[in-house]
Amino acid sequence: MTATIGPVKANPYLWPYDGSVPVTRTALICIDWQTDFCGPGGYVDAMGYDIALTRAGLPATARLLAHARELGMLVIHTREGHDPDLSDLPANKRWRSAQIGAEIGGPGPCGRILIKGEPGWEIVPEVAPVAGEVVVDKPGKGAFYATNLDLVLRTHGITHLILTGITTDVCVHTTMREANDRGYECLILSDCTGATDPSNHTAALHMVTMQGGVFGCVATSDDVIAATDLS
Amino acid sequence: MPTVDALPNSFSFDPDSTALVVIDMQRDFLEPGGFGESLGNDVSQLRRTIEPLAALMAHWRAAGLTLIHTREGHLPDLSDCPPAKLLRGAPSKRIGDPGPKGRILIRGEYGHDIIDELQPIEGEAVVDKPGKGAFYATELQELLDKDGIKSLLVAGVTTEVCVHTTVREANDRGYECLVLADCVGSYFPEFQRVGLQMIAAQGGIFGWVAESPEVIAALQEKS
Repeated sequence: MTATIGPVKANPYLWPYDGSVPVTRTALICIDWQTDFCGPGGYVDAMGYDIALTRAGLPATARLLAHARELGMLVIHTREGHDPDLSDLPANKRWRSAQIGAEIGGPGPCGRILIKGEPGWEIVPEVAPVAGEVVVDKPGKGAFYATNLDLVLRTHGITHLILTGITTDVCVHTTMREANDRGYECLILSDCTGATDPSNHTAALHMVTMQGGVFGCVATSDDVIAATDLS
Repeated sequence: MPTVDALPNSFSFDPDSTALVVIDMQRDFLEPGGFGESLGNDVSQLRRTIEPLAALMAHWRAAGLTLIHTREGHLPDLSDCPPAKLLRGAPSKRIGDPGPKGRILIRGEYGHDIIDELQPIEGEAVVDKPGKGAFYATELQELLDKDGIKSLLVAGVTTEVCVHTTVREANDRGYECLVLADCVGSYFPEFQRVGLQMIAAQGGIFGWVAESPEVIAALQEKS
């Protein structure tokens, strides 16, 4: 028998919309758990932000990752970053990052900021990919634009997504919006996400729940684990 | 180059490579008695955008600049509506069901079209989109490429849903986006405020925010 997930006690409806879903059609998406965003000594840390806020979702995500791996669920990790020659970096993104003192491609505390292959760009050890898991490198905030994510999901027959990662209002929300438009049924986990501004974290989750779940649903990792049926 | 006082810092644009994108100013979302209102929403929160947007559109057209409209909606047979979107709505108020102004969110229905005050004129593109974002599964990117557009002025509804999704898509594609605070609207004042704040946060992570009279003044200074 294939394990299933759902109905999950979620807001604003019992997720998923179609009752329950086999884990074989569900993917766990872990977005941008990179050292530069949430690791000690990364550039968010070096800029003086409190990384406890972006790290808040790590323990719950690690627990859910173990659960997903045990179930054989497809796990996909994403990383935001650019080629060393910056050929995939839009001019306005570079300009803006320079304005706030963290120019992409410039020297940072953990190597060149947001450049593929640099230590700061790597995923933190707590939720690092294991062999066989898909890692999607993305040049933008959304994980669908200019990546193979949609192809990977369709190839695996995935219809439902469970989203974790950072930050809630930027990369996680952009990816959830892209996924929703593409017809994926999405669940974002409040305890497996986080933002540099806690009020943006709260507002972003609230936005999901309005109008009958305009982008999907919100739940916690415990709700997902509790709604897993192994029979 | 026209320069606009904006958040987080001033925004300059070359009018010839800038498009005004007006998102989803449709009867179903904005008119009293429409689908949006039937769900319990306060349409006056959206209708306050009509007057400033009409003024901006008049100046934009007078300057002969690119103006693009979008509409959210689906084919009458619902073949472009994902099941997750279709079945999530409350029964009897789902996409394709009969609504107060025709079938809800169906192309060709009266409620799906743009409100009378802001109707497109000849030569303006109207992009029909099946989702919240105006780039996914539409010809928008091709239209912008064809006209050499690099910057977008963004207006329309609703701020935190279709406007935000489109701005996020545009930003990842390298377009400079200026969101016009008085020309975008949300049914929920809290989301209007926080939605605009998120655009300009972290040094303008998704773009810039300004008021439309600033744009009109900048256009007039140039001419």
